[in-house]
Amino acid sequence: MKFLHFYFIITFFIFQGCSTQQADPQANTSHIETAETTSDTSTKPVTATDKNTEAFDNEFETEFAESEKTEVSDPLSGYNRSMTSFNDAFFTYALNPVSKAYAAIIPQPLRLGLSNFIHNIKYPVRLVNNLLQLKFQNISDETERFIVNSTVGLAGFMDPATHYMNIPVHDEDFGQTLGHYGAGSGFHLVLPFLGPSNARDTLGLFPDMYLSPLVNLKSYDQYRIPSNFAESIAVYAVEVTNKNSLRLGEYESLKKDALDLYPFLKDIYEQKRASEIAE
Amino acid sequence: MLKKILVILLLSGLSAHAVEEANIKKVMDAKVKKVLGILKNTKLSQKQKEHKSITVMDKIFDYRTMSQISMGKRWKTLTAKEKNQFSRTFEKKLKYSYVDKLRLYNNQRVITKELKKLKSNRISLEYRIIGKDKNYKVVYLFYKKRKSNQWYIYDVRLVGVSIIQTYRKQFSEFLKTKSFKQLLKSL
Repeated sequence: MKFLHFYFIITFFIFQGCSTQQADPQANTSHIETAETTSDTSTKPVTATDKNTEAFDNEFETEFAESEKTEVSDPLSGYNRSMTSFNDAFFTYALNPVSKAYAAIIPQPLRLGLSNFIHNIKYPVRLVNNLLQLKFQNISDETERFIVNSTVGLAGFMDPATHYMNIPVHDEDFGQTLGHYGAGSGFHLVLPFLGPSNARDTLGLFPDMYLSPLVNLKSYDQYRIPSNFAESIAVYAVEVTNKNSLRLGEYESLKKDALDLYPFLKDIYEQKRASEIAE
Repeated sequence: MLKKILVILLLSGLSAHAVEEANIKKVMDAKVKKVLGILKNTKLSQKQKEHKSITVMDKIFDYRTMSQISMGKRWKTLTAKEKNQFSRTFEKKLKYSYVDKLRLYNNQRVITKELKKLKSNRISLEYRIIGKDKNYKVVYLFYKKRKSNQWYIYDVRLVGVSIIQTYRKQFSEFLKTKSFKQLLKSL
């Protein structure tokens, strides 16, 4: 109960923060826009083609500046930066070697099976969040997937719903649900081991953990697989290792595109979440 | 007869430098198919694969415009020489990054999704890569060149992340504290 109170207080606190954050950059951009139009109508004589290319350039400029409006606030940048280095080191020197060894021992079909099983069993998370967003087609898709994969798909180890019936997955989490109803992302927050996140999505983790049969915080529910918090962490460690073993090399390849790792990962995360929420 | 027409259509589509609106999907599908064919070809070395896939895709990308967008407002302050220099460096960087991603390819299936006309001079074309445990959405963004009415790619979105937008942010962040020369070097 105490925890619930705490949760609501934090939620309230964050959304208060959001409203002030959003007002700021918008004020900024309107300022820039006016600056642009004035420079356009400057007295310099311009030829028709010049004007054409100018208009054309501005079109791209506004298209890309549009999404920069929602610049995320980052009061914890110092902490975030060091946590990014920590996560990066953890990934490179612990998770990746372990995943590689794991991949060498366990054949891929088994790893895929486990990945399918984990995905399938988290159906309650997707169901509730789709329900909260009133996405009824998604609910019917997800339910169909769950029924098919849990039965024909041998308790979820196989994924006939994707491979034979072409029913799409609709991953939704509580962070996306909050975003769907207009909650801003809040400040950026890099979580230890979990990687980039923000205030909204971090809060979203708690309801999702509550819904997930793979997490048991207080050992009170019968239907959950782990029986206590320590076991939940163990299950999660296996899940992450297994997932990473199927995506070896992706992070390294991504990292090469970065001039500076922390802002790069932050930007990618926020862009990705924005597009997931928009879907 | 039908085969002949198809061959002619394919050839004409592939040989053109850029594409007309009606052909975008056809040409891109053919190109994607060709790249997949190259990647699956076990006779080629990794280097050959990379080189060939780049030449298939090359002409349809407008690297100059990509460079310009990624630089944002700074572009106008650059001299013509600097612009050329930057475009060339950035093109290399993009190609390297593309090739590096190709290395991850492991017989995944690629499905064409829909073509959307966003504006009179903007089109997006979506693909789905069916990965091992997850699907990846790839969206190519085209714009129409005014003079020629041809369409070129100016951005690619991988799982909702715009590549050019990401570079744009990085460059503006970088140039806040460092010089243009340093940027060229670090690319």
